[in-house]
Amino acid sequence: MAEVNYVMEALKFMVLGMGVVFLFLFILVKVVELQAKLIAKYFPENTPIKAPATPAVDTEDENRRVAAIIAAVTEFRNNKS
Amino acid sequence: MKLKQLIISLFFALFALTSMVQATEHEASAPEQQETTEHKPYVSKSISELASSWWSTTGISAIVDVHDGETTSDPRGHKFEREMTWFESSLGRIIMIIIVFILFYLAIAKNFEPLLLIPIAFGGLLANIPLAGMGGEHGMLGIIYNMGIANEFFPLLIFMGVGAMTDFAPLLANPKTAMLGGAAQFGIFGSLVGAVLIGFDLQTASAVSIIGGADGPTSIFIANRLAPEMLGVIAVAAYSYMALVPVIQPPIMRALTTKAERQIVMKTTRQVHRLEKLIFPIVVLMLTLLLLPESSPLIGAFAFGNFAKESGVVDRLSDTMQNSLINVITIFLGLGVGSKLAADKFLVLETMGIMVIGLLAFSAGTAMGVLMAKLMNKFSDEPINPLIGAAGVSAVPMSARVVSKVGSEEKPGNVLLMHAMGPNVAGVIGSAVAAGVLLSIFK
Repeated sequence: MAEVNYVMEALKFMVLGMGVVFLFLFILVKVVELQAKLIAKYFPENTPIKAPATPAVDTEDENRRVAAIIAAVTEFRNNKS
Repeated sequence: MKLKQLIISLFFALFALTSMVQATEHEASAPEQQETTEHKPYVSKSISELASSWWSTTGISAIVDVHDGETTSDPRGHKFEREMTWFESSLGRIIMIIIVFILFYLAIAKNFEPLLLIPIAFGGLLANIPLAGMGGEHGMLGIIYNMGIANEFFPLLIFMGVGAMTDFAPLLANPKTAMLGGAAQFGIFGSLVGAVLIGFDLQTASAVSIIGGADGPTSIFIANRLAPEMLGVIAVAAYSYMALVPVIQPPIMRALTTKAERQIVMKTTRQVHRLEKLIFPIVVLMLTLLLLPESSPLIGAFAFGNFAKESGVVDRLSDTMQNSLINVITIFLGLGVGSKLAADKFLVLETMGIMVIGLLAFSAGTAMGVLMAKLMNKFSDEPINPLIGAAGVSAVPMSARVVSKVGSEEKPGNVLLMHAMGPNVAGVIGSAVAAGVLLSIFK
């Protein structure tokens, strides 16, 4: 029996292994892209998954409200003491 | 009155007598071999004899007196145990205990992967206790080992937990980056060639090179199938290199990229539909089913964990998988792997080779990921920062964090974390696929 060249064997493993890994991921990428298109087409209304209706407060308004609350609390504390 | 007492006492006496007779009859008929289970008749010992017998069971004596016929401990049972050499029972143990303390130092002071290093190192400490046989069939570590490592169960449960923790949204938003997770698997196959060159046989070389996937559970899974005697070293190497991600990767990343490339800002990722996330684990599993059933234990557990999370209706289960279950298994896995840090198993010539090959594998994987990302950047219409290629190794989420850190050092405010998570989770899938290929070769 001919002497097996282990380095050559290892190189063959490498070709096979990298080939399968890339093939797997390539198909995965394609399927995922297709899936994204299909879902965007047939279930479009859900597409933007918003966090359950965070009240759309603009920051300035929010700041003013916080300021008012702080003022009220300090007022209340001052009155108490 | 007197008569009554007499009768009663007579009755009792008679009863006692008959029962005694019965007892003696029983004794006489009892088989003689019972004696073997009985204790040896106790012979009086002088205080000096007692002291010397105690001395012979101390660890000091076991370490100093090397010709005491102490055996190694093996979870498979006594048949696989042999007498320790002088080195293993004395100096080797001391070296291993020092190594264990170094691991403690790295885990506690340097915060390198403490969740794994602490149990592993403590397991190693226990395994090196003389005469206790902790790693043996009936020792604590041996029981743990047989329970879930010898049969590859724990790595799968870890994969389930990792699946439940992983969010595939970054990958789904930018699927192309998954190819980077494939390129980084070159670490595995490139170092396979290297390992064969320095004289490992093919099967062992395959088991060793899987360290390049930077994936602890996969390494344990493969090592168990292909080279069980190397399991300890491979697991320790895999986990220590995972812990060293922040040290090993950045220099390689910097060496292979220009400053301009490192400063590339990537577009923010799109929102991902919930259905996409839900279907993804099924798609991966289907592909595994079609192309590589060998990988299905790993990918199956991973997909199950992820599916349970994304289904959104079994939060209790997915919560258990990503917290309690994975924590319990991490304790067991660590202690079980630690049992392989016993001097007689760890201090062998191959260890050095495995550590070197492991480092090589890990660096090659990182380098290939970065190079692939550079290539993709050239040919893609959207800019791709080559740094994210380094996250193709499957050390989730450490390498993505490292990429993000290096990126923001180059250009403050450039957050690459989400972009790096894509190749990172693809790396997990990639290394599980690579593992399946190696298994299919040696089937």
